[in-house]
Amino acid sequence: MWQHRELIWNLTVADLKNRYQNTALGFLWSLLSPLLQALVLYLVFRHLWGQTENFAVNLLVGMMTYQFFSAGTSSSLGAIYGKSSLVTRVYIPRQILVLSNVLPTLINYLIAFVVLVPLIFVLVRHLPVTVLLFPLIHLIFFFFIYGAGLFLSSLFVYLRDLNQIWQVVTRVLFFCSPVMYPLSIIPASIMPYYRLNPITEFIVIYRDVMVAGNLPSLHSIVVVGGFAVAAYVVGSLVFNKLQRRFAEEM
Amino acid sequence: MSAITVDNISKKFRIPHEKKTTVLQNIVGLVKRQFSYEEFWALKDISFEVNKGEALGIIGRNGSGKSTLLKIMARVLYPDSGSVTMNGKVASFLQLGVGFQQELTARENIYIYSSILGLKRRQVNSIYDEIFDFAELKKFEHMKLKNFSSGMSMRLALSTAIHANPDTMLIDEVFAVGDEAFKKKCADKMDQFKAEGKTIVFVSHALNTVKELCQRTMLLNEGQIVTMGDTEKVIDHYLAMLQIRNT
Repeated sequence: MWQHRELIWNLTVADLKNRYQNTALGFLWSLLSPLLQALVLYLVFRHLWGQTENFAVNLLVGMMTYQFFSAGTSSSLGAIYGKSSLVTRVYIPRQILVLSNVLPTLINYLIAFVVLVPLIFVLVRHLPVTVLLFPLIHLIFFFFIYGAGLFLSSLFVYLRDLNQIWQVVTRVLFFCSPVMYPLSIIPASIMPYYRLNPITEFIVIYRDVMVAGNLPSLHSIVVVGGFAVAAYVVGSLVFNKLQRRFAEEM
Repeated sequence: MSAITVDNISKKFRIPHEKKTTVLQNIVGLVKRQFSYEEFWALKDISFEVNKGEALGIIGRNGSGKSTLLKIMARVLYPDSGSVTMNGKVASFLQLGVGFQQELTARENIYIYSSILGLKRRQVNSIYDEIFDFAELKKFEHMKLKNFSSGMSMRLALSTAIHANPDTMLIDEVFAVGDEAFKKKCADKMDQFKAEGKTIVFVSHALNTVKELCQRTMLLNEGQIVTMGDTEKVIDHYLAMLQIRNT
């Protein structure tokens, strides 16, 4: 992949230009959308959980985390199928198409999280030092999304209704993650199953470093790292198996 | 030294009786136990070599396997058995302007297309002006591609392809764009490539072009090599074959 870095970069920049140059507010929209959604959820649920510590800020961080995942995976679905001439007419390692589809989302949400930092400072009135760790979490999360992208984009070539199915799956994951409610309302009996949702683990660790100022425990680093490695390995295996017939299926 | 070695390649396509493209159709198919498909051998036991600096033509009727063979050589399709070995830098032109993006400018597209063809930014910088001069499009450098006529964007693509300077070129009927003057320029450029010792594999129905370009030609029929050798003789064989079929 490293020897193709210029191609990856060119395709990433082209993708960013295509995404944003035709909307009046361009990049701003992708920032405003999670912020506004978080605002709506805050207005609805503040009576229920408004007293919980840092409810508003945690809602924002949770929303951004979820959006990074859902935007990244949804757009990756079409990374192969939407680029048919690059698959059927020329040879380039096809992982490049997925990577250059997920990278723009990474850049997008890198900026979104940076914008979040002053917001946290305003709402909580102090900023933990551990916020410096967020790029590391971001990188791990990116690998997780890239792995999921490899899996989804290769399956989508064969199963064209996967985008509808995936939409439902991401909605379900949203309600199964502690975005709009605190983690503390989950009964202890189902907690072990609840925490099998990777997004929950990522939300918890983002909140730890960005809001609460806790150093993430070794255990939680291993858990999110494990999710990322598992997604990448499974995604790559499926992708490599399926990509041999891509050009015939499209 | 041979630039291309094709060793015993076979390629089979599956033609399902019912094409299933959704999860639902797959589940239904699973329940009803419909897995049936027909097998179609697009290529059977193809072996040949192309020497460095040689131009090889591939001719044959529609559906004879020409394009499948070229796609396997271009690594777009995988063979079911056999192997292809390519020496040197290969560029495949199964279609011109692969990856062109209508919303971007000609300049941006040149950089993207070149990197798809395997060039580094530094290399593109050094041939950048030549590409535009050859395509005669210098004054449209910063115009978006969507405002180009189809002829203009093909000229731009072809000019980039020509300046990419690979050792081996796999070409599928694409070098027939532009007006007569531009075609002449391209033909000259191809002669120059041959003089420089580049290897060319050329798939075409245009027998005259094959005659001009290739010393050696392969005739394919139903996925097998009928004959291979001196271009004139192979073309005569092909024409005779068509004649028999028509009478």
